[in-house]
Amino acid sequence: MNPLTATWLRTLLVQASFNYDRMISVGAAWAIQPLLRGLPERRYREAMRRATQFFNAHPYLVGMAMSAVARTELAGEPGETVRRLRHALISPLGSVGDRLIWAGVMPAAVGIGLVVAALVSPVAGAVTFLVLYNVAHFTMRTWALRAGWHKGRQVAQALTGRGLKQGMRVAGPIGALAVGLAIPVAGGWLARGFSLHAKLGVAMVGLLAVAFAQWILPSFRGLRFGIVAALVALVIGWAFR
Amino acid sequence: MTEQFGLLLLWGTIVGLDLASVGQIMIARPLVAGTVAGLILGDPLAGGTVGMVLELFALDVLPVGAAQYPDYGIGAVAAAATAAGSPGALGIGVAVSTGLIVAYVGELAIRVMRQANTTDVRLHGEELDAGRLRTVRSVHYRGLLRDLVRSLVVTLLGLGLAVVTYRWAPTTLSGALLMTLVLIGAGIGAASAGIIRVVERGAVIRWFGLGLVVGVLYVVVVQ
Repeated sequence: MNPLTATWLRTLLVQASFNYDRMISVGAAWAIQPLLRGLPERRYREAMRRATQFFNAHPYLVGMAMSAVARTELAGEPGETVRRLRHALISPLGSVGDRLIWAGVMPAAVGIGLVVAALVSPVAGAVTFLVLYNVAHFTMRTWALRAGWHKGRQVAQALTGRGLKQGMRVAGPIGALAVGLAIPVAGGWLARGFSLHAKLGVAMVGLLAVAFAQWILPSFRGLRFGIVAALVALVIGWAFR
Repeated sequence: MTEQFGLLLLWGTIVGLDLASVGQIMIARPLVAGTVAGLILGDPLAGGTVGMVLELFALDVLPVGAAQYPDYGIGAVAAAATAAGSPGALGIGVAVSTGLIVAYVGELAIRVMRQANTTDVRLHGEELDAGRLRTVRSVHYRGLLRDLVRSLVVTLLGLGLAVVTYRWAPTTLSGALLMTLVLIGAGIGAASAGIIRVVERGAVIRWFGLGLVVGVLYVVVVQ
């Protein structure tokens, strides 16, 4: 198998050994290994030594660091240069991935999926979400690996490219718009069949949840609020049976 | 559910692995996990509905770095198993509650698993520092195996809880309906708070507001 393809495939499992000491470094070392096979024995061992040190990045962009570092190793650059490059990529790859994927593509695809689920069917919503999200996901993974491989030590150029900047500029607003649209549409569909008073009750609970998460008790949000709210409803249901 | 138990167990385990360790193609999103579990059980509407409610809760999560996050995917599988066959809105609240509890158990299990990975890495620190491929491989594969076991065990617990709540849900008729309404509201609140926290900046929050206004208008006019 082509070493670049092998690394691409291995990046799909890069977080399997995530730990609090070295984060994803063990998975990253496992992923970069096919690209380092061409190195002379001594240089290979040194490269693997560097590869197992602390490392973290967005999982979809980790391929960029792997291929850029491997390219630099293969070019015979000093070990200190490789170490610095590897270290310098941690923050930008995390930041770009978080802004583009977690704060942009993900909410956008989920929002659209929820709207389709409410307007067409949950199956259609799930399929729409999966297709939209994974087109962006696999495009990112493939682009990242190739960009790192082509740019090598100059990989920062890929991260400051116009396309990526524009992508980050539009991803957040699209995600926010899609979720904003999805919340009332999905909420309205889920509460269909209930009276207007009941729907107003749903909106009140929603506002209460936002107030708790934003101002009253920020640590008490989402899951914890939901569990407690369900328990309160259970008790009230018993009391007024 | 008895006939489909094996398939649900397999699906839940795959969903648990997708959360972080394998692929992250997002079959672990509750909308997908719940809908597919519903399809397995022959009730995609119930699975999809609880998946949608849990998806609203999941929008509260930003899975960055070493952040701890609930396992809503396996939660959605357990919720679908609880909701399947229940009459309409009656089963949704109880099912989503089950899903939230399983998601929380999944979160605790992730913490335990990552701690075990950390111990493993510390035990083999010298060999890793030496760049030994065999150690890299074995530590990595053990991490994968741990997540496989975690996903399997959490799914098993989730399906067990689903059977218990489906048969002996400790709630009244009015309580079940109230739970449904309260959890839809809590999900809406969680999604709103989540996106507000993610976007933070002024210009982007206006897009969220615009979407909300259009969505509310659509609901008021059409529904």
